[in-house]
Amino acid sequence: MTRLRERWERLLDFLFPPKTDMWLAMLRIGLGLQVTVYALFLRSDWHYLFASIGKGLVGRELGEAMTSFDSPLIPKLSWLITLGRSVNMSEETVLTVAWVCLFSAGCFLMLGLFCRPAAISAWFLHLCAAESGGLLAYGADNFMTTALFYLMLSPLPDRFAFDHWVVKTKAKNPELLGFWLRVLQVQLCFVYFIGGLAKCLGNGWWNGSNLWRALIRSSLNVVSPDILVRFKYTLPPLGIAICLLEVSYPIFIWMKRTRLVWLIGILAMHAAIGLMMGMYLFALVMIVMNLAAFGVPCTSTRAQATSKSGNQ
Amino acid sequence: MFSKRIHAAWFGIHFVLITAVCLAGLLSLIAEGSTILPAALDRYARKAELGAAWLLGKQAAESSPVRQGIATYLHAAGVQAGYSFFAPNVPSYHKLTFELFYDDGRVEYESPRVRSKAAALRLDSLLDRLAESRYEPLREVVVKMLAFSVWRERPEVKKIRATFGSVNPPDISEFEHGKAETLQPMFSFDFSLRERER
Repeated sequence: MTRLRERWERLLDFLFPPKTDMWLAMLRIGLGLQVTVYALFLRSDWHYLFASIGKGLVGRELGEAMTSFDSPLIPKLSWLITLGRSVNMSEETVLTVAWVCLFSAGCFLMLGLFCRPAAISAWFLHLCAAESGGLLAYGADNFMTTALFYLMLSPLPDRFAFDHWVVKTKAKNPELLGFWLRVLQVQLCFVYFIGGLAKCLGNGWWNGSNLWRALIRSSLNVVSPDILVRFKYTLPPLGIAICLLEVSYPIFIWMKRTRLVWLIGILAMHAAIGLMMGMYLFALVMIVMNLAAFGVPCTSTRAQATSKSGNQ
Repeated sequence: MFSKRIHAAWFGIHFVLITAVCLAGLLSLIAEGSTILPAALDRYARKAELGAAWLLGKQAAESSPVRQGIATYLHAAGVQAGYSFFAPNVPSYHKLTFELFYDDGRVEYESPRVRSKAAALRLDSLLDRLAESRYEPLREVVVKMLAFSVWRERPEVKKIRATFGSVNPPDISEFEHGKAETLQPMFSFDFSLRERER
């Protein structure tokens, strides 16, 4: 019984370490930038991607039907459009308003103005767009949803936000801040371990052919294949390095001695994905999540002191 | 004061669900035989995948509140898909080409287009999904919508033949010997204006 209790206490110690809100500020500003860039990148195609059948690329209804097959409770843009119709707003106007709100939510997050409502709006509007897009969504959307989901549940605002200066909110509980940091950290460990393990199971990552194939995909080939051929001997070690970096992330990112090396390795990998494959949104959200989770020193004496006095 | 127990319970449930999603994805890759693992494991992987699917409520009826509740939560948290991007191997990419037939006998070639690079990545994602067998029932309707998006810009076109194919890039040594990528047609559809009116 005592043993069980000890384990439970150790688990609680792991889950609720006292932390400062530095990481939260990093996540908020980074995701604000991410949402703003997402909105700007899709500005010219927004209506085309999310208009109804006959007006857009494939029609929003198709993606929404697929989403509704999973569950009719998943938010989608049609909810907003139906709501808009009830006040005589056209589909185009609602889509424009949704885009403006998403863009504004991103800007507010960056500034730290109305942090919680901005985080909830950004999460909801992005989720609606990702789900209505259905077949058009890709990995970056899932990571954005996850990061925004954690952000809106975290104890906002942080002390660097405008809200904190204006309203003079009380300092947040360091253990609660630590809990949400742990959630983000464990999430990233899952992402890289599973991703790395799946890559290890493919022969193409051991001989460099997968890196070659990824880099020469027609829409992604920012780097010419002729240049890649010159570096062909580096592709196998790079492929193996990616597998090992990812699969061992949950071990070495926790160790103080190796944390910086692994973090730099992962950040470099994502920067390379962004620059060499043109997947800027994917790269940015992963860099933001990694920096917030492991790149910011959050254990301060102030946090520990607050925690101790809180426990007494 | 927040409750540590409630937070810890949520943490446990949340990551159990993520584990189940990730395992289902990974086991599905093994069951499909697309990994370097021996084929003898495929059968067991399929069985284990069913176990993971059960945990996610996917064995329940479509209208089951448990199934719908879990699905809603997974989508809301953005964890409904696993993390095996570009794994176990980088797949071929796909192309959709439209042959546009005019009344005067002219034929033009076109592909579905978007304005921004960010949207182009999404279009590629859509095409890659169409190649998957689980999206087979949707192929015709999606290709029809894409063809219609081209048609709207060229209303004088009388017929469109859409050809969807898988593009196999050359490997490094083949590229060095001058081999180009090859297109393997997978399916094609003919759409006429009359069909649309009907």
